[in-house]
Amino acid sequence: MSAESLGRKESEFQPLKLSTSPDSRRVSAALFVLTGAVICALPSFASGYAMTLAIEVMIAGVFASGINLLIGYAGLVSLGQAMFLGLGGYGIAIGTALLGWPLWVSAPITLVVVAMIAAAIGAICTRTRGVEFLLITLAFSQMFCGAAIKLRWTNGSDGMSGIPRPDLSRLGLSADSPAVFYYYILTVSALALLLLWRIVNSPFGSVLIGIRENERRVMSMGYAVANYKLGAFALSAAFCAVAGILQAQYTYFVNPDSMSWQVSGEGVLMVIIGGANVILGPFIGAAVFVIVKQALSLITDEYNLFFGIFFMLVVAFFRGGILGTLRTLIGKWR
Amino acid sequence: MSALEIPNLRKAFGGLEVIANLNLTVPDGERHAVIGPNGAGKTTLFNLITGWQPPTSGEIRIHGVPVRQGRPDLVTRGGLSRSFQKNMLLESITVLENLRIACQAFHPSRHSLLRSRTEFADVIRKARRAAEQMHLDTCLDRNVNELSYGQKRQLEVAVALCAEPKILLMDEPAAGTSPDERANLVKLINDLSPDLTIVLVEHDMDVVFAICDVITVLSYGKLLVTGTKDEIQSNPQVIEAYLGQHHA
Repeated sequence: MSAESLGRKESEFQPLKLSTSPDSRRVSAALFVLTGAVICALPSFASGYAMTLAIEVMIAGVFASGINLLIGYAGLVSLGQAMFLGLGGYGIAIGTALLGWPLWVSAPITLVVVAMIAAAIGAICTRTRGVEFLLITLAFSQMFCGAAIKLRWTNGSDGMSGIPRPDLSRLGLSADSPAVFYYYILTVSALALLLLWRIVNSPFGSVLIGIRENERRVMSMGYAVANYKLGAFALSAAFCAVAGILQAQYTYFVNPDSMSWQVSGEGVLMVIIGGANVILGPFIGAAVFVIVKQALSLITDEYNLFFGIFFMLVVAFFRGGILGTLRTLIGKWR
Repeated sequence: MSALEIPNLRKAFGGLEVIANLNLTVPDGERHAVIGPNGAGKTTLFNLITGWQPPTSGEIRIHGVPVRQGRPDLVTRGGLSRSFQKNMLLESITVLENLRIACQAFHPSRHSLLRSRTEFADVIRKARRAAEQMHLDTCLDRNVNELSYGQKRQLEVAVALCAEPKILLMDEPAAGTSPDERANLVKLINDLSPDLTIVLVEHDMDVVFAICDVITVLSYGKLLVTGTKDEIQSNPQVIEAYLGQHHA
């Protein structure tokens, strides 16, 4: 699905400049350092509830960032990425809780297996575009969700529990402590974000942007476009699986609901709210999504209705997402 | 060996025959125009040559190598590049980034995931050279959607040149440009290396005569005649079918 089919003109995507002005770099760096300092210091002044929300935001942010690699950079809108979130959770559950392998063995194996499954699925899905791609990813997701409900050795719809958090005893720490777990999630999220930033600014990433802009032209330039789309699909799946592992560790639990199309849809909403094609957009989208939803649920039981209205307002007045709109406004102000 | 050999090419869409047993040979270094009225099959011919559409029968050979259908990327890698009739540019990114991505396609870094795209200075240098060649060096940091139509047509050609092709196919490069932009584009194309084989589809006969030595005239998918400018200008069939008395 192209940028246009997301309801935006291609021109609303921000330019990919090879250089930025020193002023804008200084402002960005200052904002980045300030935000980073607040996030790092959060456990020292925030309540347990606020830390819980922050953990949920970071996990959702990693998930949405994986989706954004497809939507924002390769121009492919998937409604099936929750299948990889779920597979990540199930992978770590099978490795650690069922087979008793340590995390440092289970996690890499899970990621490699998920990427391989994604490559196999992607070989079929990436032959399509637009609505066909959206529907075929949705179909695969529902298929995996159905399989997880039926499989007895993963406890069917009851899911798998007893997933351990990382063993940090060698550092004299326990990941069951909210603050320690917060820093663990923060570290993994920051590394995932850094890796994603590296990928989208790499030659590979620039080809993905080219594909989003004009697939035919990129093919005419001499690129085997199908391979790049497949690579993006597998990488996106791996990021979603990282979020799945973190989610399973956070709740000590995984069940087929994590693979549902609603979860995929929420990930897409986070990307649109925060801003596709902006590296921090999905994290901002995740923060807004989690916090607004929590706040509305405190006020009314019908929070989904009001969240729908909120989402419509964001789409109507923040075309390009929150970060995309901010960037446009700052550009005009200059 | 000829740059381009097309023996007995035929393309039909259902019952409609768009290209009928076309035979065409373009020697190395030739500037060859394909002209004809709308619907003559010119753009279809380009789509067949570049692997975008499969022929119904017949073959296309680029320097003796048959074109692999459905893989336009391999055609470009085989030394044949094209510009499009309708601009096919990466509109919301900069001119330099368009050219850099095009140049990167032939660089080992193109698959690199973990290094910055700005690290590869040789790719950026090559992109800048392509921009200079088509007089776009003053607008490198501008987004493509901010360029004038004439500049976009120049960028179309510059992007195609980034592949360092041996054969360049240009589909109506001057379409929609002003007289000044057209004159500028003709000069830029004429300044390209004489070793480069050019096949040009163009409606503007002044552009065709200014660039090409040999002209093939198509009419309803059939080859009417191939000849030099003078032969084409004086051919009664061509005058009747396409040129009119003005160019006779």
